[in-house]
Amino acid sequence: MTTMPGTRIITAPGWTGQPRTDIGLIDCDVHQVITKPEDLYPYLPRIYKQQVIEQGLRIPTSGYFNVPQNAARTDLAANCDGDKHNPFNDGSVYETLRDEHLDVWNVDYALLTGASMYGASIVPDPDYAAALCSAFNDWTIEHWLARDERLIMAMAISTGDPQLAVQEIERLGSNPRVRAIMLPTGNRMPYGNRFYHPIWEACERHGLVLGIHIGNEGAGMAGPPTGVGYPTYYIETRMARPQMAMAHAVSLIAEGVFEKFPQLKVLIDEVDQFWVAGLMWHMDADWKSLRDQTPWVKRLPSEYVLDHIRVGSQPMLEAANNEQFMCMLDAMHAERTLVYSSDWPHWDWDDPATTFPKLPERLHRRVFADNAREMFGLPQRNTGGEAH
Amino acid sequence: MPLNAENDLRRVVVGKASELGPGERKIVVPFRGRAGIGVFNVAGQYYALRNLCPHKLGPLCVGRVSGRPVAAAPPSSYQGVPEIALDDQVLRCPWHLWEFDLTTGQCLVDPQMRVKMYPVVIEDEQLVVYADPADLPVPPPAHTRAMQAQEVAEPDNAP
Repeated sequence: MTTMPGTRIITAPGWTGQPRTDIGLIDCDVHQVITKPEDLYPYLPRIYKQQVIEQGLRIPTSGYFNVPQNAARTDLAANCDGDKHNPFNDGSVYETLRDEHLDVWNVDYALLTGASMYGASIVPDPDYAAALCSAFNDWTIEHWLARDERLIMAMAISTGDPQLAVQEIERLGSNPRVRAIMLPTGNRMPYGNRFYHPIWEACERHGLVLGIHIGNEGAGMAGPPTGVGYPTYYIETRMARPQMAMAHAVSLIAEGVFEKFPQLKVLIDEVDQFWVAGLMWHMDADWKSLRDQTPWVKRLPSEYVLDHIRVGSQPMLEAANNEQFMCMLDAMHAERTLVYSSDWPHWDWDDPATTFPKLPERLHRRVFADNAREMFGLPQRNTGGEAH
Repeated sequence: MPLNAENDLRRVVVGKASELGPGERKIVVPFRGRAGIGVFNVAGQYYALRNLCPHKLGPLCVGRVSGRPVAAAPPSSYQGVPEIALDDQVLRCPWHLWEFDLTTGQCLVDPQMRVKMYPVVIEDEQLVVYADPADLPVPPPAHTRAMQAQEVAEPDNAP
């Protein structure tokens, strides 16, 4: 295992202290992406490899302009200070992740959330989509998991054919390093729909977290990025993100997913977080008035959130002052619902040191380690067979 | 109307018991700034509730009465359609639709909440409620009492 004490000076502005080594640190959103279709060739069936050779990956995108270089931090990228390993580096390179993130902050575990295959769920051909996901998963296992015991993995899954999704979960779900699946917010239907339930059943059976990461909205067969249609700019889709997370959370609760699959846990990544407070209050009020429509929802909706849904912290919103910030954390029950996520290596990432004001120690432990550890069922600390 | 000295309740004659059939209700004195009282016949038993919802102070007793759907599992579990529990026993406030069990006053969506209830008895074939004077109208001048008594017995026009 390649780990180093977290003693290096790093680049986060304002960061002058040393990483805490006595408190665990789990990062619930680290992206690994293929840099070219050829990365997948060794893992693709011949027929699909040929299709990719002839016509590319054919994964739909929405066409919005984010920022160059796949939205990666330029301090990690080619021709900028910091890249040491790959002239084509867009940040998603294992050695860069190790040297500039995992080692710096003494990360115990980092969840690889992919990104290359978020669009697989909206590829029209479900067999091709499933093959893409399998190939990407095998590539991830070989090129990332095998290289660092701190890495755990959210499988790429296409929902195009739920039975194929279940097959992929059966294939890899027993690997102890596989702790989740990851799907995009943009898809054909809200995730409470019974169409998806065989996948959730397989997740529960294997103890995998259902991950939902921002992405895909407005692309391919997915619905538009907002409830009122297509905005003009990326910044608008970004500002309006919480409505997608809310729609999925509401759907999961109202369709009784947590009654059917009481062990299922959901991680919602990169949709910010303070919406959770308002949504819990909103859902509880509506449930008290209209629960006759969904009598299988037997508990207050907020209780399902507290027991089943976790929200990645990034992009952590900045309140007008610390007092308001702490009030919002309190209102969303951050001690149960919030998990630290960095969104490595993207421009809008959140480092562990400057993202939060100083938190009370108990809350710090919940947000930076304990909530995620319980969600993924991980050991207390990742010693990887040696102290670090 | 004499006060009941023991618990300071006022005896209110609602009307002939035989005129309030199962599923029917009568709202008593819902005017002059007081909540009033709703008297309900639920399967032959009579219940009197304060006509004031503890949630938002809405006129609870003019709400819809029905049952409460229950389901063992989500419909995608294919375990049958929801059934109706507490049929004809659940009162929904017209403001925000919170549910109350007519027979206990218990709010079904908030265990901390219940609506005030009053004893109902049949005395000489008359339905009699022993009500909190605070929920009843201010006693009118003596010369209007006959008219007042008539109003008290008027059936309400609520849906």
